[in-house]
Formats: sequence, C-alpha cells, structure tokens
Amino acid sequence: MRDLPAFKLLKRYGFGLLPYSLAKNEKQAIEAAEKMGYPVAMKLISPQASHKTDVGGVRLDVKNHIGVKLVFKEFKSIARAKELGLGGVLVQRMARKGVELIIGGKRDEQFGSMIILGLGGIYVEIFRDISARLCPITRSDVEEMVNELKSHPVLLGARGKRGINLRALEDVMLKTCKLMEKENLKELDLNPVIFDEKGGDLVDVRMVK
Amino acid sequence: MMKGKEKLLENLRYVFEPKSIAVFGASPTPGKLGNVVMKNLVLGEYAGKIYPVNPKYDEVLGHKCYGNVLRVKEKIDCAIVVTPAETVPKIINECGRMGVRGAVVLSGGFSEVGRNDLEEELAKAALRYNISLVGPNCLGIYNPYARVDSNFNPAYKSGRPGPGSISFITQSGAVGACTIDIAAHYGVGIAKFISYGNGSVLNEADYLEYLENDKQTKSIILYIEGAKDGRKLFEAMRKVNRKKPIVAMKAGKYGKAMKAAKSHTGNLAGNYLAYRAAFRQAKVTEAENFDEIFDFIRIFNQPLPRGRRVAVITNGGGMGVLTADALEMHGFSMPELEEKAKTTLRKMMPGYVNIENPLDLVGDAGVGAYEKAIELAMQDKNIDSLIIIVLYQTPRIDERILGVLTRASDDRRKPVAVISVGGSYTEEKRRVLEGYGVPTYAYPLAAVKALEKLTVYSEYRKTLK
Repeated sequence: MRDLPAFKLLKRYGFGLLPYSLAKNEKQAIEAAEKMGYPVAMKLISPQASHKTDVGGVRLDVKNHIGVKLVFKEFKSIARAKELGLGGVLVQRMARKGVELIIGGKRDEQFGSMIILGLGGIYVEIFRDISARLCPITRSDVEEMVNELKSHPVLLGARGKRGINLRALEDVMLKTCKLMEKENLKELDLNPVIFDEKGGDLVDVRMVK
Repeated sequence: MMKGKEKLLENLRYVFEPKSIAVFGASPTPGKLGNVVMKNLVLGEYAGKIYPVNPKYDEVLGHKCYGNVLRVKEKIDCAIVVTPAETVPKIINECGRMGVRGAVVLSGGFSEVGRNDLEEELAKAALRYNISLVGPNCLGIYNPYARVDSNFNPAYKSGRPGPGSISFITQSGAVGACTIDIAAHYGVGIAKFISYGNGSVLNEADYLEYLENDKQTKSIILYIEGAKDGRKLFEAMRKVNRKKPIVAMKAGKYGKAMKAAKSHTGNLAGNYLAYRAAFRQAKVTEAENFDEIFDFIRIFNQPLPRGRRVAVITNGGGMGVLTADALEMHGFSMPELEEKAKTTLRKMMPGYVNIENPLDLVGDAGVGAYEKAIELAMQDKNIDSLIIIVLYQTPRIDERILGVLTRASDDRRKPVAVISVGGSYTEEKRRVLEGYGVPTYAYPLAAVKALEKLTVYSEYRKTLK
C-alpha cells in the first residue's frame, strides 16, 4: 500500500503529513499547488509503477503554475510511452531541507512488531547503520536508538549544524510502533522522513499488510 | 502465567535436586551413552539412589538393573532417558503414572530430524503428568551442588566445574559441552548447567524464570540459536536481568536474509536485528562471539562500579599504555588519585616512579608495592574501578601476588579486573586466580571490554532505584 490509501491510514494514527492532493487533470493540479503554496513535488500515480523514480515519475521543486502544467503533460506522455495507467498526479508541498531519515517497521516471526531507525542514503544502504527496538517503545528507547547509530552526530548536530528536533522524531517513532502493532503490518517504510531543528516532514510511505 | 507452567517450574527441583534417578537405557558397555551417564553419576558421587532400567541387563556398574521401571518400588524423582526416540513417549507416560516429576531426555530423533509427531507425543505425555522435561536432543543438566550430571561426555575427556555462581542455559549441546570443559579448566564454578536441546516442554524463557529464584545462581549465560518464543524470551530476559545479570549470545546471526521482503526495512532487518533489539531493550549484556561470553560473565562476580573512573596499576609501562588506550576508547577516564594518596605513594615508592594514572610501579616492583597501591586505589574517592596489570615475567613478582590479587577481588569496595599477558608460566597463574574467582584476562582489550559491560549494567541498575 502506498500513496493516498497509505497517507489516509497514517493520518488516522495522527501522523502530521505535508499537504497533498490527487489531481486528475492540469487544472486540479494547479489549483492544489496554489492552495498549498509553491514549491511543490509532483508524483505520477499508476497502479503499474511501484517505483515512481524508476519511470521518471517524480519531480521536485516545481515552482509555479507553468511548471505544474509542463510536468503534468510530461507524466501523461511517460504513461503513454510506458503503457502505464495514469491514476492521477499527486501534488505535495515540498518537504523542508534537513536530515533524511528512514523509519521502518517489521513484523518479526519471533518477536512481533519492531521498529528501525537509520540515516537515509548511503548510511543505510552501504553501512547498514541502523538501530532497532521491539514495539512498544518509550521516548528513552528512541534516545538510545539515536545514540546507537554510528551516524548520530549528524542527527544531534555537528560542525555548526543544528541537531534535529528529537521530540518530533520521538513522536513519529511512537506513532509508528502504534501503527505497526494495531494494524499488524508486515513491513513499513517511512522513507524519507526529513527532519530539521523545528520538526519533520514525512515524504514517502510504503506498507505491506 | 498458566498454572501448569508454574507447576512445571516448581517440579524442576526434581530435575536439579533429585533424591533418586532412573536411567533408561543404562548399559554396562563402555562408550554407550547409557554407560557414560551411569558412570558420571556413580563416579561423580551422586548421593541419591540410582535405578538403571534396561531389559537386557541384570546389573549395571554394581547397581541392580530393572527390566521395567514399574518394578521399582521406591519413589523416583527424575528419569534420565537415552533410549531410541520411538520408545521415549511411552517411557514418559509410564514415569508419569509412577509419580516421576522430572525427566531429562538426551535422545535425539525428534523434531530436529522431522519427527514432529514424536516430539508432540512426548510433550503431551510430560504435560499430562506435569513432568518437567528437559530436552529432548540435548546434554541435559549438570548441578555440581547435588552432583547430578546427565552430560554424556565422559568425565576424563571433559572436565566438570565445581560449585559456583554462574548458570548456563544453552540450546546447543556442543557449545555447552565446550563451555563446561573450559570452565572446569579455569576452575570457574557453576551453579546450574542446562542444555535444553529442542525445548519441547520447557524452553529458554522458562529456565530463565527458574534461575531467577535459584539461590546459587548469581549470573546467567544464555546461548541461543533460535528462540522458541521470542516475545516470551524478551519478557523473561527483561524481568530476570533486573535481578541477575544475563550475558546473552545469539548464534546463527547471518543465516538467511528476508528473501520475501518487499520493503527497504524488510531487507535491512534480518532475524538477528530483532535479537539485538531484544537484548538491548532488556538491557542484557550481549556477547558478540563465543570468547566474549566467558570474558564478560567472569567479571560479573565483582561489585558494581559507581562510575567510569578507573585506576590502572601496572609493573610494565607499555601494557599500562595499551590499557589506557582501550579505556579511553570505551568511554572511561583515568583521573589522578587524591592528593593524600599521591603523597603516600611518593613517600613509599622509589624516586623514579611517576605518581600518575596509570600508576607504573616499574619492572622491579615487588608484591608489597602492589598491595599498598591497591589499598590506596580502593580508598580513593576519585576512583570507581581497578585494573591491575601483573606481568609475571619480571624478577620480583612471586606467588604472594596471588593472595594480594585474590584479596583485592574479594574486597568488594570496588570491582577489580586483572590483566596478565604472557606464556605458559603466566597462563598457569591466570588459571590459579580464576580458580579463586578473580576475573583475569590475557589481554588489555578483553579486560576493558568486560569492565565496560559491568559498568553499563551498573548504570542500568541505578536507573531502577
């Protein structure tokens, strides 16, 4: 489960989401973008394209209505060329700049719901720098999880950069555990969730029931 | 907890402290399991009654052998079973009818070879009569306090440790057998040894709960390959570790990744990650490899340190430096001793000894210098733990140092770890000290890592108050 249905489920669990809207045509896309304010991100929604970036279906930092119009046209031609059904275009307010984290959930055969935290990008891909706990967790568990990461200085602030808002991170993590347990999800990716000193923005989600 | 489980845990006393034991499959033929088990009981001076059971013989090792257990008229507390798997469920049923409430099934041939049916039958029989059954497919138990020993490795090939305070729960018989042998070699005493194999009636979590209330057990080693019930294990670890420190190791870490995983997380989070999470959350000390199990558990007989300030006392500068590096790397500090301690030391020591931390007593230090330095560090308000490096290669160190180190280890004001690096002479002294319960290490890093685990556990215990 991804995109809108997944967003809706997240909302029910009290996750703060960036404003988003599914546009069926250019007009709707522009209206949505004007309402939430530029810049926006646009994502091609198709039941056949599970990896949006692989088909070129993600555009970031779209700055005005001309851009929105152009991207929408592009998505239509991509869909046509790749023979994908176009379910619409997701317009989403651009996330803040900050530290990209991956917050994940997994149902372990032995231990049940668990949660993982890692720094996005190469840290998690190459160094497998992740920490994990069994659900439910407490705020001090999150603190420990952060400190366990080899990359924790990036989260806590280093070389003149401010650290991320740990309180906001804790909130997201506690909610993630609740979601994992209540919905008995098999797998969950909140990836990335971008944090700065003020808070965090959840950009993309993928769930497996 | 279920009523039945409580009863089973209670009945484990018939396994660990039986007044009488029946050995099913007892044999007079050397080399047979049924012979080794009998020998270990008889030669190990088990004080209770022994009833060999085997229709083929009239007598085994001087004990009357019974063709059928039903002919034994006295009460039997525990059955040790080494007969082929097919015969075991029936034996357990018979035992149940006779009022036997403890059983150790060493025989293999159950779920581990796909005979889940036999194992279910076995478990059903045990549960019907509330028999605390250890196994099947295991080495069973060893309790040096009651001299009960079901380990089927001959005593002349595998040493048996004496009574002590460390208990050991292991899924693997082989790992258990080696550890017992090593413990015996170093003179490290144990409280209870439990190799539970397939764990069909009682598993790792149950044994942890049992040991929580076992008087002789002060610390616990848990070696696990795959838990029977992870959640239950987690809860048991968390509960027991508050009272008695657990050193846990998970083997088979990198087996199969989650092939079916559809998400990023699914790919990243192999099975071991869940164990690691459980260990960290339960605050148990994780040993990442086999060596660490033994390194870590030995220091847990020491008092818990108040903080991370360590005094290093050495008769070799270089080893002091190596230890200082390791301490630094593990988040310890080495503050200066209090003024009055420094003054005392200055008066006492030759002028070329620098009074600092690490305190290098230099190569011609005698036993007396150690004794005084240790006492000062024990009293010193700036110091939480002591690392004492003794290089036996030097001319003036003699046997009396063993007494000094043992007294330091028994002192209980502050934890002590001893480092002695060297060859066979040193190795011999290390063994003697281990036998006296002094945590002694062959290398600086091993000692520092162990002290770090003790310190982290101490910090955890403080949060409980």
